[in-house]
Amino acid sequence: MDQTIICRCEEVSLQDIQNTAITYNCSAREVKLRTRAGMGYCGGRTCRPAVDAVLEAVTGEKAGHDIPMKVQPPVRPVSLAILGGKMR
Amino acid sequence: MTNKNHTEVVIIGGGIVGCAIAYYVAKSGIDCVLIEKDDIASGTSSRCDGNVTIVDKDPGFDSLMSLKSQELTVGLSDKLELGFEYRALGSLLVCENDTELEAAKNWVDIQNAAGLDFKLLDRADLRAESPYFADDIPGGLECRTDSLINPYLFCYSLIDKAKQYGLKVYTQSEVTSITKKDDFTIETTNGQFTAKKVVNAAGVWAPFIGNMLDLDIPIIPRKGHIIVGARQKPVMMRNVMEFGYLMNKFGRDRIVDPVTEKHGVALVLEPTESQNFLLGSSREFVGYNGKIDINVVQTMAKRAMRFYPKMNDFTMIRTYTGFRPWTADHLPIVSEVDSIPGFFIAAGHEGDGISLAAVTGKLIEELIRGVSDTIVPTNPLRFDRFTKVPVS
Repeated sequence: MDQTIICRCEEVSLQDIQNTAITYNCSAREVKLRTRAGMGYCGGRTCRPAVDAVLEAVTGEKAGHDIPMKVQPPVRPVSLAILGGKMR
Repeated sequence: MTNKNHTEVVIIGGGIVGCAIAYYVAKSGIDCVLIEKDDIASGTSSRCDGNVTIVDKDPGFDSLMSLKSQELTVGLSDKLELGFEYRALGSLLVCENDTELEAAKNWVDIQNAAGLDFKLLDRADLRAESPYFADDIPGGLECRTDSLINPYLFCYSLIDKAKQYGLKVYTQSEVTSITKKDDFTIETTNGQFTAKKVVNAAGVWAPFIGNMLDLDIPIIPRKGHIIVGARQKPVMMRNVMEFGYLMNKFGRDRIVDPVTEKHGVALVLEPTESQNFLLGSSREFVGYNGKIDINVVQTMAKRAMRFYPKMNDFTMIRTYTGFRPWTADHLPIVSEVDSIPGFFIAAGHEGDGISLAAVTGKLIEELIRGVSDTIVPTNPLRFDRFTKVPVS
């Protein structure tokens, strides 16, 4: 169970998250930054509920809209050309 | 409560500057407490990039201070137990045209004369750095002593060691008032503290702390955007800035289109340890509004494609903003305040907080201990350089 991958993009396991929270006795945000859980390609769109639930379980912090995982634009991956207004 | 929370030095601010100060002060054996309104590295220090650079510093005091800080940072990469993704790879400045390349030649000569390790690069050198550069980029330069770090991991690493030396950290503790009689009394949302000395390391929020003691600290937020590119094919290993970045930073004339000028956009590309890459940059005075401005992001993406047209199909996953603490002369304030003995300011590093954190921490520690032979001269960093005649 503790080998279960919570964040697939950054390959962060339940154990990684639990150990980080215990070792550093830190906030959910800090656990996220230290493990990179939810910081990968999907931007948390796949793993967000799982990461939030695990972080709440290990740190006791309820997931708000800002912490631990704020949704940052452009929300889903887009090409540099689209961001630069060169396509469509 | 008051007695329990009495200490020699209170450091306000848990960004990279406050963390570095906490490390050096605690290491020297002084009793100290760090107070942070939110969380460690929750402001500018997690909304920036991770350059420890000289390549973009004005020759003279500016580059000397950076060099000293680089030396300290290299040493810290050995001394601190928690890694902070220190990568000593050197960094590049690239030129858009021959005019800039001429200026770059001049920049290399000046820096070499100052004893720094700079080298001019031609078209072939750049091709060897990355296959993604545009064919018409004529050249650039490298500074071989520059390095990259992960800023928030650096904060965690400094705090971890400082705690071993006795530092106490209070997060979620916003300072609400400061008064001084014999000692300073600092009221926070998480209790009261008293201290003999206080260091204001609140970065872009330092003026609010200053106001509590009727001090006018001339630091203004200069907003920046960053785009995060997903790991895919390696673009290159080293950090890149365009030569125009210098022009933007120092407010010098630059030949670009009006929108690029308005948004203060200049290319920065930083490969990260996670194999993503960061694309910057923008510079704007728009107060403390941290919202992503998609128009600025578009200008930055266009600018990136000017230098890396073959990256047009690379995927971008995230954008974020941060506030650089700007001062009028582009140097930080690292100084005791004469009118309030025991009150120190260490803020106003604009975009150089990561580069200059270590030297700032060391200097504040020396100032607190009353060392006369400091690591860098203190005059250019004095607070009173912004005030004409002191009011008695």
